[in-house]
Amino acid sequence: MKQKDIKVLVVDDEVAFANTLAQRLRMRDMEVGTAYDGEQALSKLNKEAPDVIILDLKMPGMHGMDVLQEIKAGYPEIQVILLTGHGTDRDGEEARRLGGFDFLNKPADIDHLECKIRKAFQEKLKRTV
Amino acid sequence: MENKNEEDLKALQLRFVGKVIAGFTHEIKNYLAIIKESSGLIGDMIKMGKLSEDDIPEYLDIIQSIEDQIGKATEHFTHLNRFSHRMDTQISAFNLNECMEELIALLNRFARQKKIVLETDFQQDLPPVKSNPSILQLLVFSFLEKKIAGLEKNGRITVRTGAVDNAVAVKIIPEGTFAEEDTDAGMTADKIRENFIKQLGGNISQGTAKETVITLPVHGV
Repeated sequence: MKQKDIKVLVVDDEVAFANTLAQRLRMRDMEVGTAYDGEQALSKLNKEAPDVIILDLKMPGMHGMDVLQEIKAGYPEIQVILLTGHGTDRDGEEARRLGGFDFLNKPADIDHLECKIRKAFQEKLKRTV
Repeated sequence: MENKNEEDLKALQLRFVGKVIAGFTHEIKNYLAIIKESSGLIGDMIKMGKLSEDDIPEYLDIIQSIEDQIGKATEHFTHLNRFSHRMDTQISAFNLNECMEELIALLNRFARQKKIVLETDFQQDLPPVKSNPSILQLLVFSFLEKKIAGLEKNGRITVRTGAVDNAVAVKIIPEGTFAEEDTDAGMTADKIRENFIKQLGGNISQGTAKETVITLPVHGV
């Protein structure tokens, strides 16, 4: 399957950050949508059916961990990478316990993030076959 | 009881400084993350060979975005720097609006996290106040913290300033639904506030609908 087929949803309340990261991932042949808070992200899951979600932790309204929990409850096959500037080791452990694929610090190196997205996508394929 | 008051005062001071630093570092890290992605995007475009004249507006937009983030970060550093220097001297002549603006800028993130709008409504041309701005900020923080904790999302808090005769006033006006009763976490919060306002030589009164009004004499105690 071509990398072009990877659907990514970037969820971050920093609009400029989410849009710029989305643009960079599109330049790497991914299909990328954006959401600017947890509620908006959850409302897009059905229609956009992302393979991988890049999720911020501390957002207005719903906390990233709550969003992760809801994603995993309704769409367990979707892989979630937490990308946060403010996470602790305990947050990382909690994210993995809740089924998060990985936990990265913001700002992440784009090549490293791309590699993680690809791995997360492979994981999703394994789970859906 | 005296020890309990001391402990609660120290806890409030630590919480205040902790929140300011946490909010500040969070904002700065976000600005840096946007700058990093924007400069990375320029790099991506060059590597892809997007080097024609038609691409110039896109480059200029990205450069503008970087400049905007640097501007916001600089403003935030200015607020933190002023906030820190207010502790250098106990009593000084200061501009009430600047003092409140800096406090709101440093605490805004915590209101935003709860989807509460924290806004200002300042009367212009206020006389300078001779008082202790650090204690005033701590006092206002203690009320804001309580109201932010109590309000449900989509609420609003307005910090309004004004002047009457030889006094200035800070009015904290919450609007919205309170999820929980408007109570304090610390048992001695009111006592601490009484102590603060005594040091400032002012007065605290409750207005309608959970409004709080802090009045300070312009010429100090």
